Amino acid sequence: MGRLPLGFGLALALAMAMAGGFVYLVAGVQLTAEVDESLAHERNHLLPPGAQADTTALVARVTAIEAHRWISDRGHLLFDRTGRRILGRVDMPMPAAGYSDVRYRDVGVKLHSGRALCIQLPDGGHLVIVAHSEIGEIMRQMVLPAVIGVVLVAGIAALTGSHLFAHMIAQRIARAQSAADTIARGDLSGRIPLDGLDGIFAEQALSLNRMLDRMAEMVHSHRQFAGHLAHDLRTPLTRLKGLLAEELATSPGDRDGLVERADRECASIIAIFDSLLRLSEIEAGSHPVGLQPLALRPVIEDVAETMEPVIADAGSQLSLGQLDQATVLADLGLVHQLLVNLLENIALHTPQGTRARISLRRDAARGEAVLTIADNGPGLAVTERERVIQPFARGATAPSRQGSGLGLAIAEAIMRFHGGTLELADAAPGLAVILRLPLFAAKESSEPA
Amino acid sequence: MDILVVEDDSAIAGLIGRGLDAMGHQAMLADSGHAAIRECESRCFDALVLDRMLPDISGLEVMARLRARGKAPPVLMLSALGSVQERIDGLVAGADDYLTKPFDIGELGARLVAITRRSGLREEPETQVGQLRLDPAGHRAVLGENSASLNRREYSLLAFLMRHADQLVTRSMLLQGVWNYDFEPTTNIVESNLSRLRTRLQRLGCDPVETRRGHGYVLRSERCV
Repeated sequence: MGRLPLGFGLALALAMAMAGGFVYLVAGVQLTAEVDESLAHERNHLLPPGAQADTTALVARVTAIEAHRWISDRGHLLFDRTGRRILGRVDMPMPAAGYSDVRYRDVGVKLHSGRALCIQLPDGGHLVIVAHSEIGEIMRQMVLPAVIGVVLVAGIAALTGSHLFAHMIAQRIARAQSAADTIARGDLSGRIPLDGLDGIFAEQALSLNRMLDRMAEMVHSHRQFAGHLAHDLRTPLTRLKGLLAEELATSPGDRDGLVERADRECASIIAIFDSLLRLSEIEAGSHPVGLQPLALRPVIEDVAETMEPVIADAGSQLSLGQLDQATVLADLGLVHQLLVNLLENIALHTPQGTRARISLRRDAARGEAVLTIADNGPGLAVTERERVIQPFARGATAPSRQGSGLGLAIAEAIMRFHGGTLELADAAPGLAVILRLPLFAAKESSEPA
Repeated sequence: MDILVVEDDSAIAGLIGRGLDAMGHQAMLADSGHAAIRECESRCFDALVLDRMLPDISGLEVMARLRARGKAPPVLMLSALGSVQERIDGLVAGADDYLTKPFDIGELGARLVAITRRSGLREEPETQVGQLRLDPAGHRAVLGENSASLNRREYSLLAFLMRHADQLVTRSMLLQGVWNYDFEPTTNIVESNLSRLRTRLQRLGCDPVETRRGHGYVLRSERCV
C-alpha cells in the first residue's frame, strides 16, 4: 500500500475515532439529563409551589409517598440542619447542593451508583432525592464497545476503501503510463485505451490521446519534410549535374579542375539527400521491409568480406572474432546497410593502422544477439558518444570530412526499427559499437529435433 | 540505337537528348504520356527512357498501355521518387531498370545498353569470355592451365562483368547487381573489391578490366587471353 492511501485511510480512521468520542460524550450527557429531569419532576411533586417547605412537613409527605410506592427506583432522604439523617432507607452521606453523582447503599451492603438532587430547605434542613442510575455502567458496557466497534469497522473500511480507490486510480493511470512508455520507445501509435474508463478519466484519456494524435502528426510531417526537401531538390540537382557533366565532356580545358570539383561537390550534396531520404523512410516506417528470420553469422561474414578490402585500402585491418550462431527477425537490406555504415566509419574516421574486430555473442539469458564492432583507434570521449549519434554530427577528432554525417543516425534508426539498441562504449583503447537485437524466439520450437 | 525519351522537364530532356546523341544514339523527345504512345505507334524504338511523373498520365500507365498493345521496347524508368518502395513499384510494373534523379548521363547510357542486350539474349550467364572461364564448382577463375580461387564477392563480381563483357558497367549497377545494396555507400566498396579481383587476375596472367574514370568499368574480351 502506498503512503498516500495509508495516510488518507489513517486520517479517515482518526476522524471516525473523534466522531465516536463525541457520540460517547453526547450520549453520557443526554442520559444524565434524562435522569436529572426525573429528579426535578420528583422535587416539583414533593415541593409544589405554595406548599409548606419545612422539614416536618416534608417528613410527613415523604412518608406518605413511600408508603404507597413499594417498588421504586427513587429514594428520599431528609437531613436536619445539623446534617443528621432523619429519614430515608437509603444509606449515604449528605451530598453537595444541586445535582451530583452519588454512591449509596439501599437495603443490602451493595453499593449502587446514582444521581442525587439535594435541596436546602428554608429551615436549614436538606431534602435529597436519589435516583438509581446505571449511566456509568451503560456507558462502559454498551456505548463504549459500540463506539469502539464502529470506529474500528470504519477505520478498516477507510483504509481498505482508500487502498481500493488508490488501486483503481493507479490502474487508470497505468494505461496512460503504458501508452507513454510505448511512445518513449519510438512507437508513436501508442494510445490510451478508452474502454471501461468514465468520468474525468475518460475525459483525461481523450484529451491526452488528442494531444498524442497532434504530436504524431507533427512528428510525421517533420519527418516527411526532410524527405520532401531532399526529394524536391533532386530535379534541380539533376539539371546541375547534367550541366556540369556536359561542360566536362565538351570543354577539355577545365582550368584548375573547377568543373570537376563542382561536380564532386554536387555528388556529395546528392549523397546527403539520399541519406536523408533514407533516414526519413526508415523512421517513418515507410521503408518496404521483408522481416524474416535471419542468421546473423553468414550476414556478418558476407559484409566483412566486402568491407575488408575497403578497410585495408584505408590502411587499417578488419578481422572476425568469435561468431556465435544467432537468429534475429530482421530485414536483410537494412542489416547490410547497418553493418556497412558502421564498418565505413572505421575506414573513414579512424587513423591508419587501426585494428577492428567484429564479434557476435548469443546472450540466451537476456534473449539478445550482441554484435560488437570494436576498434583500437582513438575512441570517443563520453560526451562525444552521445553527440555523434545525432544527425549531421561528426566526431571532433575525425580526420576526414567525408560522409553525410548521417551514418550513425541511420544505423541507430535501423536498430530502433528492429527493436534493438545501439550503444557506443569504451573499448579501452578505442571505440566499441555494441548492437543488441532480440533473438528470434520461435527458432528452437519450430525446428524439428 | 533509336531511343524515345519521355520527359516533361525540357532542361532535363535536352540534357538526355544531347548526351545520347554524343554516345551515338538517336534520341527522340516526347513531353507527355499521350505523345509517347503516339510516337510508339508510328515507329519502333530500341528502348524507352520514361519519366515516372508526367503531366497527363503517369509513366506506369504509359508502360501498361504500350504493353497492352503488344509492342513495348525495354523501359528504363526515370524518377525523382527515390525511395526503395517507388523503385520496387516501377520494377514490378514491368520496367526493365529504374534510375533515380539526379543521375549521371553515362549511367543512363550504360543502363540502356544493358537492358537492350538483356532483352535480346535473355539471362544466359556467360561463364567464358575469351580464354577466361568461371568454375562455379570450385569458385575459381580459370585461364588456360592456371586458376585462382576467389571469395564469394570476387566471384560474383567477375561473373557480372563477364555477363556484361565489352559493356560499360557503372558503380551503381555493380552495387545493385553484385551486392544487391539499395543504398549508396560512402566509401568506394566497388573500387576496393575490384582492385582485389584485378590483382588475382593479374597473377593469373591477364588484366581484362578497364577503368573508365568517372564512368565505370569494362571487361574487355580481347584482353582475356
